[in-house]
Amino acid sequence: MGQILQLTLEHLCLSAAGVLVAGLVGVPLGILLVRARALAGPVMSLVDVLQTIPSLAMLALVMFFLGLGNNSLIAALFVYALLPILRNTYTGLAGVSPDLLEAGKGMGMTGWQLLRQVQLPIALPIILAGFRVAMVTAIGIATIGTLIGAGGLGEPIWRGIQLANTFMIMTGAVPAALLAIIADVLLGGLEKALVPRGLRAKNI
Amino acid sequence: MNPLLELLTRSWADILMATWQHVYLSLGSVALGALVAVPLGIWLSSRQNIARVVLSIAGTIQTIPSLAFFGFTLPVLGIGVLPAMVVLFLYSLLPILRNTYTGIREVPGELIEAGRGMGMNDRQLLFMVKLPMALPVIMAGIRISSVYIISWATIAALIGAGGLGDLIWGGMNVYDIWLILAGTIPAALLALLASFILGRLEKAVTPRGLRST
Amino acid sequence: MKRKGLLLIATLLTAVSLIVAGCAGENAKSAGGKIVVGSKNFNENIILGEMLAQLIEAKTDLQVERKLNLGGTLVCFNALKNGDLDLYPDYTGTGLMAILKQPVETDPDKVYNYVQEQYNKKFKLKWLKPFGFNNTYAIAVPRETAEKYNLEKVSDLVPLAGNMVFGAEQEFFNRPDGYDGLVKTYGLKFKNTKSFETALKYQATAQGKIDVTDAFSTDGELITYDLKILEDDKKFFPPYFCTAVVRMDTLEKYPELEDTLNMLAGQISDEEMQQLNYQVAEKGRDAKEVVREFLENKGII
Repeated sequence: MGQILQLTLEHLCLSAAGVLVAGLVGVPLGILLVRARALAGPVMSLVDVLQTIPSLAMLALVMFFLGLGNNSLIAALFVYALLPILRNTYTGLAGVSPDLLEAGKGMGMTGWQLLRQVQLPIALPIILAGFRVAMVTAIGIATIGTLIGAGGLGEPIWRGIQLANTFMIMTGAVPAALLAIIADVLLGGLEKALVPRGLRAKNI
Repeated sequence: MNPLLELLTRSWADILMATWQHVYLSLGSVALGALVAVPLGIWLSSRQNIARVVLSIAGTIQTIPSLAFFGFTLPVLGIGVLPAMVVLFLYSLLPILRNTYTGIREVPGELIEAGRGMGMNDRQLLFMVKLPMALPVIMAGIRISSVYIISWATIAALIGAGGLGDLIWGGMNVYDIWLILAGTIPAALLALLASFILGRLEKAVTPRGLRST
Repeated sequence: MKRKGLLLIATLLTAVSLIVAGCAGENAKSAGGKIVVGSKNFNENIILGEMLAQLIEAKTDLQVERKLNLGGTLVCFNALKNGDLDLYPDYTGTGLMAILKQPVETDPDKVYNYVQEQYNKKFKLKWLKPFGFNNTYAIAVPRETAEKYNLEKVSDLVPLAGNMVFGAEQEFFNRPDGYDGLVKTYGLKFKNTKSFETALKYQATAQGKIDVTDAFSTDGELITYDLKILEDDKKFFPPYFCTAVVRMDTLEKYPELEDTLNMLAGQISDEEMQQLNYQVAEKGRDAKEVVREFLENKGII
């Protein structure tokens, strides 16, 4: 039991680390792309293409450059988490109604103020939805990290499959599934809570 | 000789075969998913309470890590193409279901009123107003499903479903990065191709009056 | 709005620090006197990896980090070359064909000497003394099938192959000493082929999904699934020694390591390896325990 808990924690850590790095890159990049929309298409397509690389192959390729272990897994998770975060940041910000921006400008806001006080708060739920998708994806992909010597819940699943040991499979599969479901629900809740009050009624 | 060229001349038939298996496995699952999810989504669109339950079940299925999912089905369904298709089929449901449901529900009330005013019955309303209006959204759901099912199907090679995953696994075991690429590149191309074709289709089925947006 | 922003930043910071704290435990790598032992992702290799690890722990003061069940030869060899691993067990034939990309060779001593020389020179890696058992490929069929058609040798399959499905792990279909060479040597034409994760091919035979499979001659599953090995009458499969492949700089840094690991030289016979595999894969016993028992019975630890 203690071991399962430890693996679960490790799994959560690794997934969250990948998503976090993707957030640190994806959100600023999304903000940048809204200002340079000509670049948005090419950048988005590039990230789209990266996304279509099967995770198994991605791990093998990343390992060639970064070696064994957690860092390689985190790097692979970063790639898959980047797309939903980047896309949602971009569409969230680009979708802010021009009227609101005009109103802000009319009030004498600078570009930075507009971003911080108008665009980001309105886009926040959409950005968070991106994080939610990224997190669930990362938790899923992290299960194959054990192939390149990373920790987490993949270990008992693989070993269980090899040994045809259903119980061992379940000690990894059940917590992994629960982790993903809980992350989904929690981040979904946060998403709702962060909708600016003025926009809530419209959402029904 | 360039190792990639050498590999291609030596195993092009295997690669082609694996690609075909991959297409069959992934698109078969998505087609099955669409066959179930589209009618179900239509049915749910007038039953909001049940819809909430069904959608959250589909959403939960979606979050289960694929390796864990194969782990769940292994003791029950065993190995081979069938269990792989079952898992991929279940994964394909959510985007199609959700898009069908919201696509139909978001058809503007005025249009439905207009249809009623012209004397349409429910069936006519569905086929002549709601479905044509919702079709692009439904197609988008099918597109999203296809792209990630094509990628996830590589893991199904583990349980004997064949496809491009076989080449990737093979490459990992015989220390051949070119073999890994011979599995990876067609898989990525397939996903992009599916996305492109279905994206085109999405545009083509958009009712003419709505295209300007 | 300000408070919400602050709250968000605080949440993020807490998350970051939690993650850093939680994951930090992992990063104690390459502290003084630590050996990283790897293994590939099939049962026998995992057992042998565990055995090497326990031996080091028992006989030296070195600490051991286990990275067992890694994704195949590609992952293991690459990690060894880059120094992420200090050693892992491998087979001379795999070194010859998968890594060095040389043609099939049936003389085991020639193979051993060749890979030793090339590995020393090219990769600064050393093959230790072989454990003793010869793990070669074998072609196996369910005993029922063998009795029904009176099968003894691989050649006996030739007239039947047109109605049979051949199943193996993906690796077998991609090795020169694997499927392609086999069917060429024997003139076999199977109806179809299927590939699986290494351990699952045996389940596939039990479920009747495949009729013929490849096996390692030391697999424990041969016992459980009651499979009959057909004699390789055309001597297609080369014999392979198994032993630890170690980084030379690791051996220099810890001179006691080589003698310690060589305590296993010649200690594991074919039957003993099969028994070990059987205990773990089929009896469901913990590999750690099985390995400890074996080493103690042998008087090694």
